[in-house]
Amino acid sequence: MTRVQLDLVTKRFGATIAVDAVSADIQDGEFVTLLGPSGCGKTTTLRMVAGLVDPTAGQIRFDGQVVNAVPSHRRNIGLAFQSHALFPHLTVARNVAFGLEVKGTPKAETKARVADMLDMVELAAYADRMPAQLSGGQQQRVALARMLATDPRVLLFDEPLSALDRNLRDTLKYSILDLQRRTRKTAIYVTHDQSEAFAISDRIFVMNEGRIEQEGTQLDIYLRPRTEFVANFVGDNNAISGEVAGFVPGEPGEPRLVDVRAGDLRLRGMDPGNVREGDRVLAFVRPENIEIVADGFGGDGENLLRGQVEQIVFEGPTVRLLVDVGGTPVKVTAGGIDRLTLLDKERRDVTLRLQDVTVVRDDPNVAA
Amino acid sequence: MASVAASAPMPAAGRRGFRLRWLGEALAHGYVWAWLAVFALPFVATLAYSLRTPDGEWTISAYQYVFGSFTGNLLLSVQTTVITIVLNLVIAVPAAYAIVRYPIPGKSFVLSTLNLSLYTPAAVMGVSLVIAYAFLFRIPQTMTGLIAAYVVGTFPLMLVPIIVALRDLPTVFEEAARTLGATRMQTFWRVEVPLLGPGISAGILLTFVIIFNEFLVTLFIAGPSTTTAALRVYNLTRTAGFQPSTAALATTMQLVSFVVVLLFFRFFGSRYLKGTYLI
Repeated sequence: MTRVQLDLVTKRFGATIAVDAVSADIQDGEFVTLLGPSGCGKTTTLRMVAGLVDPTAGQIRFDGQVVNAVPSHRRNIGLAFQSHALFPHLTVARNVAFGLEVKGTPKAETKARVADMLDMVELAAYADRMPAQLSGGQQQRVALARMLATDPRVLLFDEPLSALDRNLRDTLKYSILDLQRRTRKTAIYVTHDQSEAFAISDRIFVMNEGRIEQEGTQLDIYLRPRTEFVANFVGDNNAISGEVAGFVPGEPGEPRLVDVRAGDLRLRGMDPGNVREGDRVLAFVRPENIEIVADGFGGDGENLLRGQVEQIVFEGPTVRLLVDVGGTPVKVTAGGIDRLTLLDKERRDVTLRLQDVTVVRDDPNVAA
Repeated sequence: MASVAASAPMPAAGRRGFRLRWLGEALAHGYVWAWLAVFALPFVATLAYSLRTPDGEWTISAYQYVFGSFTGNLLLSVQTTVITIVLNLVIAVPAAYAIVRYPIPGKSFVLSTLNLSLYTPAAVMGVSLVIAYAFLFRIPQTMTGLIAAYVVGTFPLMLVPIIVALRDLPTVFEEAARTLGATRMQTFWRVEVPLLGPGISAGILLTFVIIFNEFLVTLFIAGPSTTTAALRVYNLTRTAGFQPSTAALATTMQLVSFVVVLLFFRFFGSRYLKGTYLI
């Protein structure tokens, strides 16, 4: 039952800045994910919340109280590691009991609590085994039981599933979400895997080079990326470089739209709010948001592009096309019945209708 | 293809191949056992000598001295060994932490200096200690002097296996313990010591083997009241010639060391002894 706040938290290792003035306000009971590529500072941020790394600057607060100077063992947190980090010399039950024992919990109480925790992760029968005798998934479940046994204020997860195989990851991520929902504890989850982040988070912070690029719900991040990095990192995307040609009012109650000129192409997308006419921008459109419209469809309306199919890859539920639009390669994902008709016919000329075009400022300082 | 050929009915050639292989293995085993016998022979001879009377009878009567007039020497050996091991541990564990976990300028220089005694000839060491004890510390011919010399001489044998064990120990266990609420001390005793156990016990074994049998440095610095078992064997041989009772003391010492090493390999294996004095 804890609100976690990060206020301009910075960590420098020598000359490198691992975390650069990160601020976040995580509500009581919220499940947030720090998502980003390796080396983006997400793990360092988490370790600062855990008290394993001291921030160079900034404040970390639990329920308004600054905890910068509180050592790890008195923060009352639970941390799940990438490797399960179970103590190899202790049985499963002793591992789960560890946090209670060091806090001087009475024996009977510890025993009952350990039994409860092992029941919760459905491993009661394994209490007397050594960690090495368990499978990878069981080990990680014991680690979850161990971190929950002390009733921590905040749950921290440092890529806990990345060492497991895919099927296990899928099952365990929902177990983690379920445990968090049942205990209603504030949780911060670090991952580089966007499907993991999308499946379990209330809110996602996308990190890059020590900074938070964007925070928001899954839909915000996926449908309305605000930076080039987010657009490229999350999901698959087509980037078309152009410049702002003008603005059009949107539907009533909707934000206004922006027209982008990219060579001979005309695209209309959502106005990011920070561009003016003539500015360099990138228009992003996701492969699955491109529709292939009927042959001979007339007109040259906005977001209609003509091109030639260069490549078709059948992937079962979908088919991926590479379409050459006046020299720009555009990736398209077609599903449903479309994917079969596309395969049947030797159709080269297609017309594409682009939906949900996102526009971001083309910042020359950010490498693509 | 190979397995088909092996199981094909070619009795004559197959039998000859089998006989050749058997001969090869017998030779290999014989070779190993022959060398083992050569190595073990001195000890077996000492054992045999300790069990013989001058008339050629077999007896264990010589062993009464082990529990008689030699008891003091054996006890002193055990005592100095145990105290040295404890002191070595008290110094080596924090030293290993400092060297492995913290950035120290000139780390490899420090490590080389600490290992200096391993490369110093025992006689040189003995002379240096005699001089230092007589003129600098004023502890010649005392047990304190003996133990101090042993600590200086064997400390690296304790340090190196603990450094190896600590390097092999991921910091994640320490961090897990800390986040679960364990203090620095609780983490050390409940998590790190058990996990460093094999390394620590390797250090204990090495210290034990060396000190319990140490003779040359002891010869320089021991006095009449600080005659260890090893030194007693030497003194007796020099003054009274080789007696069955001396052989009995020698055999007993040999046996103690042998059993300790055997137990160690049985319980901890040889992993942490790699690259050290023993293997």
